[in-house]
Amino acid sequence: MSDVKQPKEGLFSKKNMKIFTNPISENNPITFQVLGICSALAVTVQMRTALVMALAVTSVLTLSNVTISLLRKRIPSKIRIIVELAVVATLVILVDQILKAFLFDISKQLSVFVGLIITNCIIMGRAEAFALQNKPWPSVLDGLGNGLGYGWILMVIAMGREILGSGTFLGFSLFPESFYAAGYENMGLMVLAPGAFILLGLLVWVQRTITKTVHE
Amino acid sequence: MQHSNAYTYRFAATVTIVCSVLLASAATLLKPYQTQNELLDVRKNILASVGIKPEEGKTFSHKQVEKLYKENIKEFVIDDKGEVVDGITPGELDPKKDKNRFPLYEKQKDGQVESIVLPISGKGLWSTIYGYMALNTDCRTVIGVEFYKHGETPGLGSEISTSSFTGQYKGKKISDENGKLVSITIVKGKVKDSIADEDAWHYVDGISGATLTGRGINIFLEKDLKKYTPFFEKVLAQKEADNE
Repeated sequence: MSDVKQPKEGLFSKKNMKIFTNPISENNPITFQVLGICSALAVTVQMRTALVMALAVTSVLTLSNVTISLLRKRIPSKIRIIVELAVVATLVILVDQILKAFLFDISKQLSVFVGLIITNCIIMGRAEAFALQNKPWPSVLDGLGNGLGYGWILMVIAMGREILGSGTFLGFSLFPESFYAAGYENMGLMVLAPGAFILLGLLVWVQRTITKTVHE
Repeated sequence: MQHSNAYTYRFAATVTIVCSVLLASAATLLKPYQTQNELLDVRKNILASVGIKPEEGKTFSHKQVEKLYKENIKEFVIDDKGEVVDGITPGELDPKKDKNRFPLYEKQKDGQVESIVLPISGKGLWSTIYGYMALNTDCRTVIGVEFYKHGETPGLGSEISTSSFTGQYKGKKISDENGKLVSITIVKGKVKDSIADEDAWHYVDGISGATLTGRGINIFLEKDLKKYTPFFEKVLAQKEADNE
């Protein structure tokens, strides 16, 4: 194990902050690693559902990272994948139950996609690649960073789709009736899956141009 | 570090127990809230089927739903002969025991029945679909259909709960001029391509990619409408008697 007797690190040391900020931009789970695409397409018709989904994924990811990290020395390596899966599944079902109890309408709109967080590659990926080798605090930062990295992409796509496709922003109408009377029409394509693909593609392009990261 | 087999078993057992205790307690604690939400959702959909819907992009608050429901909807239970059974509400029916008793809702205004709402449910492709159908007092013309609970494929089968699909049922007829039940069938593709114009009253367009979901709906809709036919006959006979 790598964490034997290292000099004590500050909670927000440069290295830790890097763990947090990296997945938000240059190592983004969606635009760089291209994980979690299925849900990114499905829940981004409206900003409200995208926001709830982003929060759900971030909380599951952070909690699962902490749990796995705390147990990392005790988890027998033979059954580590199934243990990770059990932890993630338990957390996801908890989130689903809470949504059903307190945010019923949104949970209906998200339908199966909350349950499908279990199979979201980002979560298992972070547990396996990061939390198993690292202490709890960096794992929290890694979870939060990846969750937010996933979340902001979701929100940007949802914003584009909701404004162009439904003419609303978080459910509030943006365009006055006179616009529609003058012949303006909502873009139906944006409500459908291809709209999400196009926006996502553009985002990947923009993001990779800025951070100059190229997939080998 | 290698762990022994005994340790691995112990660890797996502990994880299982901790997870199941957590989930079981969460489910028990949250159950009351979820049941209440589901009841509200049912009421909201009964209201929607008779055309009481919030404006586009808005939603009713819990209180509004309760109030509108109380003001507009009366609940009944009928038996398989079409007679109203007194002293029991739809909420008290046990679907397993009361096989010959069916819930029925009426939209009333100043004591006048405006529409009849019946629950429809049955198997789709993956899941049981639940919904409501509202009929005019002629017991023939559909006022509205809502599907509110199902587990069909998102984007394909789940399109049955969109208004662009359910809206098609509006104005269709469940029986022919002589009162014989024909139900309403979802066709594959468009109605105008495969059905003669004079029969189009009994058909709606299908959803591409959701043929099997549609087939499920066709089957249970007809089955459920049959259960209520004795009641429809009673209502119509009563109407005729009143007219004479």
